Amino acid sequence: MGKEEKKPKEKPTLSFDYFNETRLGVLALVVGVIIAIVPFSASLPAVVKGIGAMVVILWGADSVRKTAGHGLGTGVPSIGVLAVGFGLVGATTGMAIGSAAYDKVGPIGILGVLAGVALMAVVGYVTGVLANSDKFIGMKIPGLERGMAELAMAGTLAIILECSIVAGTWHLDDVIVSDNSISPVAFIAVIFIMVGFGMLQPLNSSMGADERRGRTLLMAIEIGGINCVILGVVTVMSLGVVQGALLIMLGAIVWVIFYRAYVKACLEESYEVVGTGLIKTLGG
Amino acid sequence: MDPITLLIILVCIIIGGMLGSLGVHLLPVGGAPAAMATATGIATGCVMLMTGSAMTGLFTASTVAAFWDSNPSVLLVSLSGGVGAMLMIGFSMFIANLLYIFGVGVVPVSGQVAVDPITKEPQTEYMTPRTSGHGVPSVAYYSGMVGGLTGGFGGALIYVILLSGEYAGFSAATAAIVALGIFIANAIMAAYNIGGTIEGFHDPKFKERIVTGLTCAFIVSLMCGILVLITIETGALGGVM
Repeated sequence: MGKEEKKPKEKPTLSFDYFNETRLGVLALVVGVIIAIVPFSASLPAVVKGIGAMVVILWGADSVRKTAGHGLGTGVPSIGVLAVGFGLVGATTGMAIGSAAYDKVGPIGILGVLAGVALMAVVGYVTGVLANSDKFIGMKIPGLERGMAELAMAGTLAIILECSIVAGTWHLDDVIVSDNSISPVAFIAVIFIMVGFGMLQPLNSSMGADERRGRTLLMAIEIGGINCVILGVVTVMSLGVVQGALLIMLGAIVWVIFYRAYVKACLEESYEVVGTGLIKTLGG
Repeated sequence: MDPITLLIILVCIIIGGMLGSLGVHLLPVGGAPAAMATATGIATGCVMLMTGSAMTGLFTASTVAAFWDSNPSVLLVSLSGGVGAMLMIGFSMFIANLLYIFGVGVVPVSGQVAVDPITKEPQTEYMTPRTSGHGVPSVAYYSGMVGGLTGGFGGALIYVILLSGEYAGFSAATAAIVALGIFIANAIMAAYNIGGTIEGFHDPKFKERIVTGLTCAFIVSLMCGILVLITIETGALGGVM
């Protein structure tokens, strides 16, 4: 039995051993922030923002795994939806501060969007304290304060980045009043559930005995790819075919690669698989 | 914007958030055990029930608000949100009961009280041994309806105060997503507070935990409200139709 437990070693390229929880968080925060504060004049292509959104969703899924792995009593989806619920408020605040500052003091005002992320981190931390403290709800989950702060930041960044993909920039003039054929603000409801899905679904579907971080996070990247495909379809309508098609291609490639990797990992790490024939093509 | 209006907006957001939290505490949430008909309530989590009914409430509220050009009546729009949420949760409980009664074959019965506090019907005799009730009995149904009304009213109150030209003056879509964000944060804190399952106001858990739940809702709504006030003060969203 001892030898069989070493099996996960065979996928060194797709393991997340180097990016432990702290490193992954720092990486995602840095990538997300850098992509969010690129000046509007040289707006990044949607593909780059798509990669940023995927990394941020990966971070959120990791935080969900860290906190919900101890059992919440209300199911994993609740904490993922909480993250994006906070994200909606934080993203609106951040985009409003950033847009107003950009209009008043010029390009340096773009940094204002980070105020939304920072404020939301505070709100998330206080919420975590409320949920964990004996004087209030008393959930007694180790690391819940940090987890909620990370989730609130990840939710905020993900929504800002995805709004920015659809609208071109996250400036509220683009997001709310837009002469594009599709009004990006109405799409936020879809972004809301897509980001939430990316954060909550990996652990929700992989949890149980022998849940492994590397395998769970593969699914987070896969859902990030699905996000990019759907956003790409909308981007075709809002920003044009070139931006949208590239994003759809990126999303589709990521989706296929990580879907294969995830299913392979599941098939290899399980004791025995009795196929229903549905995913026969993967050699199961 | 003048401080009085800002204060009114903040107070309305806090009241809306606290009403949403109260609404969650009143719902008959069964969770996973209810899926096997071994606990009273609807077989899903608070988040799904409350988000579903609150979003229906927002639909009805936004439909009613569309009858005014810019300054909808706060009370009427909030009440219509409450009615929408109430209908949604009412249908959910009704369909759940149909499935429990005709599909599973159990009697709707409360596991927490021996006698229904409203209809005075005996409960304990009808309960299958080793379960904690099944279905949605009368008292839980009334409680759920009141929960839908308060929750929907709270969500729609946040929505209309952000939408109305007299107050925040956001666009309809922005007001809806911000209201949804604040509402969801409160609903989930309430869900954590009740630990996943509750029957309604007759459940002993309700008395034990409601004060904690409302305190948390107050703090969370206050913080979110301050963020919304900052957003309003930037002026980037105000007056955009």
